[in-house]
Amino acid sequence: MQLDWLLQPLLTQLNTGVLVLDAQYRVVFFNQFIARRADVDLAKVQGSLLEDVFADLPLAWLRRKLDSVLHLQVPAFSSWEQRQYIIKLAHLRPLSSDSQYMAQNCSMLPLTAPDGVSRYVCLLIEDATDAYVYQQQLQQSVMQLEHANRTDGLTGVYNRRYWQQQLGYEIQRAGRYQHPLSLLLFDLDKFKDLNDQYGHQGGDFVLIELSRLIGSLLRDTDLFGRYGGEEFGIILPDTGITGALQVANRICDTVARHKMLYNQQTLKATISIGVVSYFDQSVDELIQRADTALYCAKRQGRNRAVAYQPELDGYLKKVK
Amino acid sequence: MTELQFTDVQRDCLQELVNVAMGQASDKLARYLGTFVHLQVPAIALVEAALLSQHFASRYQQQSATLVSLGFFGDQGLRGETIMLYQLANVGVIAQLLGYSDDAVSEAEMLTDISSVLTTTFLSGLAEQLENSFSYAAPRILSCRDQYFADKLAYTAEQWQLALQVDIRYQLTDYSFNCDMILLIPGEAVLRLRQTLDNILADF
Repeated sequence: MQLDWLLQPLLTQLNTGVLVLDAQYRVVFFNQFIARRADVDLAKVQGSLLEDVFADLPLAWLRRKLDSVLHLQVPAFSSWEQRQYIIKLAHLRPLSSDSQYMAQNCSMLPLTAPDGVSRYVCLLIEDATDAYVYQQQLQQSVMQLEHANRTDGLTGVYNRRYWQQQLGYEIQRAGRYQHPLSLLLFDLDKFKDLNDQYGHQGGDFVLIELSRLIGSLLRDTDLFGRYGGEEFGIILPDTGITGALQVANRICDTVARHKMLYNQQTLKATISIGVVSYFDQSVDELIQRADTALYCAKRQGRNRAVAYQPELDGYLKKVK
Repeated sequence: MTELQFTDVQRDCLQELVNVAMGQASDKLARYLGTFVHLQVPAIALVEAALLSQHFASRYQQQSATLVSLGFFGDQGLRGETIMLYQLANVGVIAQLLGYSDDAVSEAEMLTDISSVLTTTFLSGLAEQLENSFSYAAPRILSCRDQYFADKLAYTAEQWQLALQVDIRYQLTDYSFNCDMILLIPGEAVLRLRQTLDNILADF
């Protein structure tokens, strides 16, 4: 049975781009897959150099690939994961993809004409846009998961696990490069009263509102996390004790002056802050000292910031 | 497993075919690259695929190794998968040799390019020796820069019955290093390969 008649309709219908170049990389043939997606007419461009037919090719890269195919007579490959596309071709998912051009897998194969002398390279181009789109969606989901995994659900600041992990890293960094590092630990004053008076939703409202307010006072590099309940921590990289106290006092003042409107009622809250600077302590020691300073701030009448000093340890023991 | 064994004569014949194919490959590469490249195969070994990862784990211990896989299909059921295994430190040298030094190509692309050039050049020569011809699947990086390559190798090898281990020694103008190529072949392809070897031996 004579099957030659099959080739033309198959090439026309094939859902793969077929592009044949001669040894000078002039266009010999391409099928409808390419003609339609690149909007070029084979009859008009046959015999032209590849780069004159298709705009913006990665020429140096492509030549090296094609050279290896011609000289070694072995195939070369290109994957969309490494190079999204070779030839700018339209694809059928312009709405669901953020890329204008078809993602492509390409095989470049050596061909020899029946005369046994003339050599050609055949590029087979497959549409990998679906895989590309799924990959983008997957990456986006991973990013959302990562965000959810480090965020406190109520307030949007870092959760305790992530925050404490970052504190460990910052301590290592400060130790290695001899940079200053400070830590603020603060607690809402009389939060229980607030909850009793306005209900837990009122308490939550205050936590959310103050997290937003305090967050707006911090630098991008500061790390703000919820330590638990109404207790929060702020890591201040590259900040010594003087700077840290200034920040703490500014936060205290801003919070005390801030009026919050909840169910037609104006709420006010204050916070107490313990401040400590890193000096070769472990994560646990640092948090312990910040906690001690915070305790003293409460004892001294709340709505204030207290810096840790070794004497405070004794003070704490006496009080207890 | 015994029916997959090769006789000494068959093994020697295969070694000879591999040598010829590698000789052709190094000749082609040298002319293409315009520099002296000599690929030698000191030894081939037939290993049960299940034992493969143990074997290589010790050889590539504590080095950043990379694994690149490339599948091939021939006529009459001859098919398999090649794995190139090399130390990452050597990649830079091969890359420079292939002219990659001066442009921004990703490491992944460099690895797949290098591996496919080396393996397909060799395999097309081997196919010729076996009076066959191969078509190839695009190369895939199985592992790069991680210590678990032995696991990945074990997982890949699990699906095949026989592994033909081909040590390759590269000799460049002023540098030489070793890397490994592993040909993984399924049982029926081993039978086919033995038949072909017997035919070649009978003609000889």
